[in-house]
Amino acid sequence: MMGKELSIIHPRPSSIVAALYTLRDLNVDVAILHGPPGCSFKHARLLEEDGIRVVTTALDENGFVFGGRQELSSLLEKVNEMFKPRLIGVVGTCASMIIGEELREPVEDANLDVPVIEVEVHAGYPDNTKGVLITLESACEVGVIDREELERQKVLLHEATQVEKRHGAASRQYLEPSRGDVKYKVAERVIRLLQEGRKCITIMNAKKETGYMFADITAAVNEVALALGKEGNVVNMANVDDSLGLPRVRHHAKCIAADLKERGITVHEIIGGMDEYPVTGERVNELIKQKYKDYDFALITGVPHAIPMEALEGMEVISVTNGPRQVLPLKEMGHQHVIVEIDLHPKTLGVNHIVESEFGATLREVAKDMLGK
Amino acid sequence: MLMTTSAKNQKRIAIYGKGGIGKSSTASNVAAACADEGYKVMIIGCDPKSDSSITLLGGKRIPTILDLLRQNIDVREKDIVFEGYGGVKCVEVGGPEPGIGCAGRGIIVAIQKLQKACPSMSDMDLIIYDVPGDIVCGGFVAPIRKGLVTEAYILTSGEYMPLYAANNICKGLAKIDTPLSGIICNSRSVTREEEIVRRFSEEIGSRLVAFIPKEQIVQDCERDGFSVLEKAPRSDIAHVYRNLAKAIMFNDQSILPGSLDDERLRELTR
Ligand code: SF4
Repeated sequence: MMGKELSIIHPRPSSIVAALYTLRDLNVDVAILHGPPGCSFKHARLLEEDGIRVVTTALDENGFVFGGRQELSSLLEKVNEMFKPRLIGVVGTCASMIIGEELREPVEDANLDVPVIEVEVHAGYPDNTKGVLITLESACEVGVIDREELERQKVLLHEATQVEKRHGAASRQYLEPSRGDVKYKVAERVIRLLQEGRKCITIMNAKKETGYMFADITAAVNEVALALGKEGNVVNMANVDDSLGLPRVRHHAKCIAADLKERGITVHEIIGGMDEYPVTGERVNELIKQKYKDYDFALITGVPHAIPMEALEGMEVISVTNGPRQVLPLKEMGHQHVIVEIDLHPKTLGVNHIVESEFGATLREVAKDMLGK
Repeated sequence: MLMTTSAKNQKRIAIYGKGGIGKSSTASNVAAACADEGYKVMIIGCDPKSDSSITLLGGKRIPTILDLLRQNIDVREKDIVFEGYGGVKCVEVGGPEPGIGCAGRGIIVAIQKLQKACPSMSDMDLIIYDVPGDIVCGGFVAPIRKGLVTEAYILTSGEYMPLYAANNICKGLAKIDTPLSGIICNSRSVTREEEIVRRFSEEIGSRLVAFIPKEQIVQDCERDGFSVLEKAPRSDIAHVYRNLAKAIMFNDQSILPGSLDDERLRELTR
């Protein structure tokens, strides 16, 4: 077919899942999945750990044939009674959208005095950011966010899609998951570089709540540098601007910045908000050009593939991602060392303090051995 | 796949055609004619209007499979199979309310239930599926795809729209590799109608198996809740249905149909 876009055949979260996470960032108390009982089960459970309730209308075969208007409106009533929410989200699924279910009518039937964000979404969009977009548009309609924020999010979403298509999980039809390089070897390398007096930039370019773990790596590098008396050789950049983004995202930035401060770590350059990971690359590029050209190595965490290689020219690049399918694209970009923080997401949901990372812990342990402390 | 309809010489046919073209009255009259000949016949109406069986049951409506499923009733044969004229077993699939749910999925679910709940299907000599409208989605082709139908017939008149639908159905049948056993013309008294439909049938590689003239008596009998075979057995039209029934029971020719382009279709009906 002419002009057909690359179709991605490895599994990725669907638009339904993306919608659920966006509702979470909008601080809904309850998200209702209008569809089959098992839809998005794993993410729904993770989100429950993050403090929101995720329930389902559990449409069965009869529901597919006769529709589930009644089921949805009575679930809305039940949820309202049980959880006393201040904000509710209703998310469509493939099943309900294919049979043409309408979300507005059951919401009107239930007639709650709680705002409801209706998200008519299914899993059949090639870019899962579509799920985010539909959610935000609906949130804007209900008045949960303003138009300006909606427009800002649209730009970010577009950029996020581009980043994924350029060097991310959508850059190739099939990407094999990989665990990346061995952590203790990379830890040794980082310690050696610091020992030799090499100058280091840490760049935390984290996507929202993943920052709780990536910030630990920034902390660990600083601790090791301090132990070596080389703290002056490290400059820290992080996307922890707490004035930008959806309510929960701003909250994450605030918590992470406060934790770093408490540990005595200075964030020298704030490169953006926690939803700006796809657009921070240019800022980083400019900053390095202006002030840090002579730095020897960079340790990038979060979404390292959003930082252009131009910015990192001449530096040894170590990157830490939580995407096992991200290893190959990063290596191909020229990152010498790529490591993966496995299981990052489950560990960073529902927290509001920095969480220990595997690489941070490894750095600390290897440093103890190497420095005899 | 569970196949209860395994009898060797059993005919399992589906009648397709544009909505409102007269599929149900044709199906029920054929069913009645075959019953008169001593065949064991079952008619399965897939149209949500449930009007395939009403003329075999003296105007009585029967509960549909989907009605019962909606009430979460675990259906058994006696709940859904009703005996009508000449012992014809009547089943209605039913459907969701207009504008809600998915009728195609409904057909799939209902026929799966039917297969499970209805052992007497395997005793039948003829099973007729009366499928609504054009082939519009996977659900409507389910009787064929699930292996329940072995022959398809298309009902049309000589007007452009029904022929357009017939042509589309041919495309659909070819796509799902199902042979067409013939075209039935249910006349709307269009000029040169028989010739038009015959030409159409030949050009798609099939043949015209019957021409059913437009007769008021069919509607009159229907209005009273009867087939013409029951109410006016000696009428000419009853004879036409008898011939059609014979043609179906003895038909052993079927082909994968071709289809015409729109221009040719228009030319034919001009
Ligand atoms: S197919 Fe769609 S509706 Fe079904 S479980 Fe998957 S995402 Fe949910």
